This record gives sequence, structure tokens and C-alpha cells, in this order.
Amino acid sequence: MSVTAWIELIFSGLITGGIYALVALGLNLQYGLMRILNIAHGEFLMLGAYLTWMVQTSFGISPFLMIPVSFVVLMGMGLLIHWLCFRRLTATSSNIDIFEARGLMVSFGLMFLIQNLVSAIWGGELRGYDYMAEPVVMGQAQFAGNKLVVFAMALVFSLGLMVLLRKTLLGKGVRALMQSQVGAQLVGINTRTLHPLMFGIGLGLSGLAGCLLSMAYTISPAMGEPYTVTALIVITLGGFGSMGGALAGGLLLGVIEAFGMHFTNPSLKALLSYVVFIGVLLLRPKGLFTK
Amino acid sequence: MNTNANLWRDVLVLFGLTGWALALPSYGNEFVVSMALTCLMYVALSTSWGFFCGSSRYLSLATSAFFGLGAYTTAMNLDSMPWASAIALGSGIAAAVAVVMGLAVLHLRGTYFAVLTFGMAELIRHAISYYEKSVHGTVGRVLTTVPEMSTIYHTVLLLAVITVALSIFLRRTRFGLALLGIGGDEQRAQTLGVNTRWVKVAGFAFTAAVAGGVGAAMAVRWTYIDPHTAFNPFIGFQTVLIALIGGAMTLWGPLIAAIVFSILAETLRLQAPQIYMMTLGLLLILSVLYLPGGLASMRWQTFKDWYRDMRQWYKDTRYEWSGDKARDKQRAKERRIVGL
Amino acid sequence: MSASENYLLQAKDVTVRFGGLTAVDAVSMNIALGELVGIMGPNGAGKTTFFNAISGVTPLTSGQLKVDGRSLTGALPHQFAKRGLARTFQTPRVFSDLPVSENIRFGLMFAGRRPRKYVFWGEEKGVPWALRDTASILSVIGLSELADMPAGAITPSQQRVLEIGMALSTRPRILLLDEVAAGLTEIEVEEMARLIRRLRDELDLSVIWIEHAVKVLLKHVERVIVLNQGKMIVDGKPSDVVRNKEVIEAYLGDEMVNDTEGLT
Repeated sequence: MSVTAWIELIFSGLITGGIYALVALGLNLQYGLMRILNIAHGEFLMLGAYLTWMVQTSFGISPFLMIPVSFVVLMGMGLLIHWLCFRRLTATSSNIDIFEARGLMVSFGLMFLIQNLVSAIWGGELRGYDYMAEPVVMGQAQFAGNKLVVFAMALVFSLGLMVLLRKTLLGKGVRALMQSQVGAQLVGINTRTLHPLMFGIGLGLSGLAGCLLSMAYTISPAMGEPYTVTALIVITLGGFGSMGGALAGGLLLGVIEAFGMHFTNPSLKALLSYVVFIGVLLLRPKGLFTK
Repeated sequence: MNTNANLWRDVLVLFGLTGWALALPSYGNEFVVSMALTCLMYVALSTSWGFFCGSSRYLSLATSAFFGLGAYTTAMNLDSMPWASAIALGSGIAAAVAVVMGLAVLHLRGTYFAVLTFGMAELIRHAISYYEKSVHGTVGRVLTTVPEMSTIYHTVLLLAVITVALSIFLRRTRFGLALLGIGGDEQRAQTLGVNTRWVKVAGFAFTAAVAGGVGAAMAVRWTYIDPHTAFNPFIGFQTVLIALIGGAMTLWGPLIAAIVFSILAETLRLQAPQIYMMTLGLLLILSVLYLPGGLASMRWQTFKDWYRDMRQWYKDTRYEWSGDKARDKQRAKERRIVGL
Repeated sequence: MSASENYLLQAKDVTVRFGGLTAVDAVSMNIALGELVGIMGPNGAGKTTFFNAISGVTPLTSGQLKVDGRSLTGALPHQFAKRGLARTFQTPRVFSDLPVSENIRFGLMFAGRRPRKYVFWGEEKGVPWALRDTASILSVIGLSELADMPAGAITPSQQRVLEIGMALSTRPRILLLDEVAAGLTEIEVEEMARLIRRLRDELDLSVIWIEHAVKVLLKHVERVIVLNQGKMIVDGKPSDVVRNKEVIEAYLGDEMVNDTEGLT
């Protein structure tokens, strides 16, 4: 294989991987911080995508403009959902394991609810629109323009989130909460506002990812589930709660998939991801990058 | 609790329901029988799921995998073996896979376990897809020898009865108590002498055997199966939903919920499948939030508690919004500063 | 027959390491039948980790364990329970949804089972009279009136006593008690200590008792083992241990060693 082909392969893997990392960020925040395994994560991504698509096709508004809008809309939704559902769970669950199990089941129900709501409103056909679909030539390799944009945005947001968590006071508070709930409360970190806020940000991030993805891929009500699974795999690879790990894990997964698809059979892609997933969960449940 | 009187009551109820289900094909039309068949399928699936996962709190999302394995066993072998053997084989293969899976995976904590079983179910689905495509060159299979409807009906009925009967008896034995202990505090149960590893594997294999047998029987309802229909994750999800909403730890909860949802499914699903699924999702959320023990745990006290909670919420909100709370806080602060 | 056959518990160079931290460092002890041994040590000395190691809850990094003559190095907790080693936990871990009587019955159904006289019926062989069934165990620990209450609804000190009852229901030969007197009033502590002595005397048990309340421990046990930072520093009679310089240093710091010379 020529050098160009190798580079194209690796880069296409990285691009897909960057997208995976972005998708996983929101889920990571929710699970790492609040032990809420939001299995409906992909559905909120799908909502962001549909919102952007609807606005694009009806009003012709650019998806770039929709990036902050979809973030805010879904963040508001996240705050609402947290207030309606998860607050009561926190109050009524006697220990963290029960809370985790119940949270999982609630998000299960949300998955059913949202996926079918969208399907009922907009129908089940595939939809999409073209935006910046012309290929961009870099050296001797070619990549679709919109995919490059998505990759760039993914990097920006991942790194931005990591910086936010590491440098700002809010970020430090979030990291403190991740390590010890009680300890953080004892030093005055307000969980009552921080939890819904982080949940909302997590959903906002998935909406944002959906908005970006709608530029480059077709959308349908069922598109959410594969992304949820991918997000799960990424945060397992990277270690729960670690943003840097999610980024690294996402990129790694993208490259593994690209190589796997190229050297074996494209239909083995899903199989490969699941094997990686189960392998990591069994052999290194704390993630590949933790010590 | 589990006294002899209760045992007789449970057995009698089971007899009654069985008799009624047996008589159904004689006077019901095709639609009713078909609905009853789906209902019996979910009774078996959700009762076995509830028995293991409800007590031990290990939520398995692998039901679809075992169902599909049973379905494929029938599809591949029905031409060469009698009906009963095909069902037994489907059940046995599913149980064997569950033992292997369980030994590898059951030492993980609840959420990890749930996610992992889901991953493994999808893995099996994709593996079979790939195998069919590359080795057999097909996407799906056509079932040629199809037994009569009454055979299918009675087989699934038998499986459902066996499952409920086992659930009635096993929960009164050491095995049932061990599962409860594992769900309560696994490490404590271990220090009291429970070999948790094998108990969990056995419970998991039980759910798999039932799912495999039911899958093997139901496969012939579709003349053409492919991995997508046989391993449809929705079957697994619906089982979990039904068991949870009905009350996973109880005996009759999953059964009652299975009946309710089968009726709901057959009536709603054809007109408005999305509304049906949305209802399912909403009911699950409501049930987890307000009725964690499921429908079967509802008592008069539950309604009284809800009423009391609502009144308390109303009082609290009114207190906060009318400004009284702010005033009381201010007064308390002043008192502290003055030092009274 | 060598003397080692008489020991109920033989721990040799038991070491437990978590990553870089050595929680238990080559601790050895032999416990014979009927001994009432106390384990003490400042916070972080590794007492509970040691208990976890000798009951199978935490795997050993190295060392050997023999319970009742059978080697149980690397065995699972239920195997320890079956060989007659029962333990309680520092915070009472009871099955809160089950009634008190079912909590006791749990142990009876598993590790507490003994072969019956006529295979399927008749009396169980080799079981102390006081531990013959749920009701008798409840009366030994004094919780008979609470038999039907859910275990989550009784007070924490009652739960602690229930913990001991659950351990007893496995018909043990050696009982590990982890800080059972913590948080109790003085009178309750005395009662607890008397209960423990009675258990040892009437049920032919060996008891190993971890306790922070040093005075209580020293008053009631016959042998004391002191751990500090994972190592065993002394193993002997209470009166000797209390004068031991290393022990005083571990608890009070080395400046106090000279000051406390004439005290005890």
C-alpha cells in the first residue's frame, strides 16, 4: 500500500474517531460525575440532528449557527429531565448501586420515548441535506469537507472541555465531585446546582454532536442507538470520567475500525467494535489509559 | 411469607390459568389465539427474567441473544429432527452459551454486567449475520417444515407453565434465598456460605434456557427468519420492561404485566406502533420513579403515600413561593447574629 | 501428631498489598480452640484488612492460611464459611429487606448446614444446643422479640448484635468480630463483652476481636496482638502488652514512652 493510502486510512480513522470522541464526551460527564448511565444518549444526539436538519431545510439557516442553538436547547432539555426524573431518584435511592440501576432503567424508558416520538412526528425514512460536501484535497489525499469540519470541531470541543475541567473553578468543582461526593459537599461545592448543570451540559454536548453530524451523514430516528453503543465503547476504552481518555479512546477506536474494515471485511465493523468493547471490559475494566 | 398456604394458593392459581389458556383455542378466533401466544411467550420470558434478575439485581439485557439462538437452532435443524428435540436443543444451546458467558462476566457489578450482556447479545447477532453470509451465502433462512398452530401454542403454553411453576417452587428453596442474598449484599452472602458464582451462573442459565426454548418455538411463526428478526433487541427490551413494570421481584407481577402489555401491543401496535412504544417508555419511567417494586407491589398504602407526598410537595412549594421561607430564613439569621 | 493439628487458624506471613501500599505485612498467628484473642492497633494498622484476608474477602498477595487443618490460601469466602470461620463487618451488613429471623435463617441454610442423623431427617450432628435453630440463636443474642421486623428497621446497635447472630448461624468454630463495640455506651459495651465471653465459653468457639476501645479489650481477653502499619509488633498477655514500649509509641508517640513508665 502506498504512503498516501496509509495516510488516508489513518486519517479517515482519526476523523471518525474524533467524531466518536465528541459523541462520548457528554455521556462521560454524566456517568463519571453522577453515575447516570444515559443509555438514551444517542437519542438526544438524534434530536440535535433533526433540529438542525429541520431548520436547515425549512429556513435555510446554516448548521454552524445551529451549533450553539442546539447546545442550548438540549441543555435546557437536560435540566428539565434532571429536575423531573433524576432528582427524585437521588432522593429515594438508598445507595449508589440502586441509584445506578434505576438511572439506567429511567434512561431506557427515555430512549423508547424519544425515539418513537421523533419517529411519530417525522416518520422513519432517512433524511439528510448536503452541506460542504465537496472534497478537500490535502496533499495527495482527499477528504470530504464537512467531515473535516466535524473533526476540527470535535477536537475543539474535546480540548475545550478538558481545559475547562482542569483550569476553571467550575471544572475543579466537577472533578472534586467525581472523586468524592461527600467530600466535595463538605468543602462547599453545591451539588444541587452542579448536578443538573452537568447533566444539562452533557445532553447539550450530545445535541451539538448531532448537529455537527447532520452535516455529513444521513439521519433517521434509529440513528441514535449505534452512537450510544459507540459512546459506551469509547468511555470504556478511555476509562469512565476521564475526558482525555475519551478523546484518546475515540481516536483509537476510529483507527481500529478503519484498519479492521480495510484489511478484513467491512461488514465486520460492528463485530470488531463489540469484540474490543467486551475485551476491554473483561481485561481492563478501568480503561486502557489508567494506571 | 413463603408459607405452605401461599404455596397452595400459587399452585391453584397456576392450574386455573393453565386450564383457561388450554381452552382458549377452542373458542377464540385466530387473532385472539395469536395474541395469547405472544402473551404466553412474554409470560415465560419475563417470569424467568424476573426470577433471576429481580432477586439478584443483575440486570441481563441478553434475552434477545438467547431467543435468537433458539430460533436459529430450529431454523437449521427442524428438517432433520423432531419438534420436541429441536426445542430442547435450542434451550440447551442457549443455556450452554449462558454458562460460558456467565462464568466470564458475572463477577462484574450490576451496571457493567447489564452493558456487557447487551454488548454480547449484539456480538452474537453480528457474528451469526457474518457466519450466515460468508459460510452459507444467505442473509436469511426459509422454514419449510412448519408444524401446526396448535402444536406451537401448546409448546409455548407448556414452556410458560414450566417457567411459572419453577419460579413458584425455586423461590422457596435455598436457591431462591441465595439469589435474594446476592441481591441484598453479595459479599455478606458469600461470607455466610453462598457459592455466589455458581448460583449466579445457574440463574442466568435458567433465563437463557427459557428464552432459547421459547425462541425455538416461536421461530416457526415467521416463515423467513434473518438475524435482524430473530435477534431483535426489542424482544429483550420488552421482556425487561414488562418484568420491571410488573414487579421483578414478585411472582405474579411479570405475568400480570405480560398479559396487560400483550393486549396493549396487539391493539395499539398495528395502528400506532410508536404510541405503543412511547407508552412503554413512559410507563417504565413512571414505574421506576414512583413504584419501584412494580405493579405487584401496589397496596392501598401506596396510594396513601402518593397522596401524602403530593400534599407535602404542594405545601413546600407554596411555602417557598409565597416568600414565607425567605422571611423565616432572614429571621433565623438575625437571631443568630444578635445571639438570642 | 504435631502441635499444628490443634490450631484452628494458622496464618503464616500473610501479606496484602494494594498497588504500592502494603496494608498487611507478613503477619503470622496461630489460634487454638477456645482462645479469646484481641487485636488492637492505631488507625490504619491493617486490622480490618487482615480480617478480610483471613476470611477470603480480600485475596492474599502472599502467605499461607490454614483453617481447621485445611489449607485455604486463595479460597473464596464461602469456603472459609464452610470450614467454620465466621465474621462480622465493621458497619453492620444485614439484609435490610428481610425480617430478622430470615437474616438468621440465611446462615443456617448455607454454611451452617450439618449432616443429619438419618440423611434427610433427624437432628443435625455436632451442632451446639444453643445454635440448634433460628429461635434459639435469637434468644442467645437477645433479639427474640424483634424476629419479624425487617432488619433495616431495627437500631444500629441491634443490627450489630444481629450481625453476630448471623455469623453464629453458620455454626462456626472461630468467630471474627470487627469493632463490635464501636459507638456503644459504656453499659452496652460491658454487655457486649459479657456476651462475647459467654459465646466463647458456652459454644466452644475461638474468638478474635478487633477493638478500638483498648480498655474494654484488655479487660476481657486473654491474649492481645497489636498491629501497627501492617506489621505485628507484639503478641502476648494484656498486662505485658500494655507495658510494651513499642505499643505505647505506636499509640501515643515516642515522647510519651518515658512519661507512661510508671502508669500501669
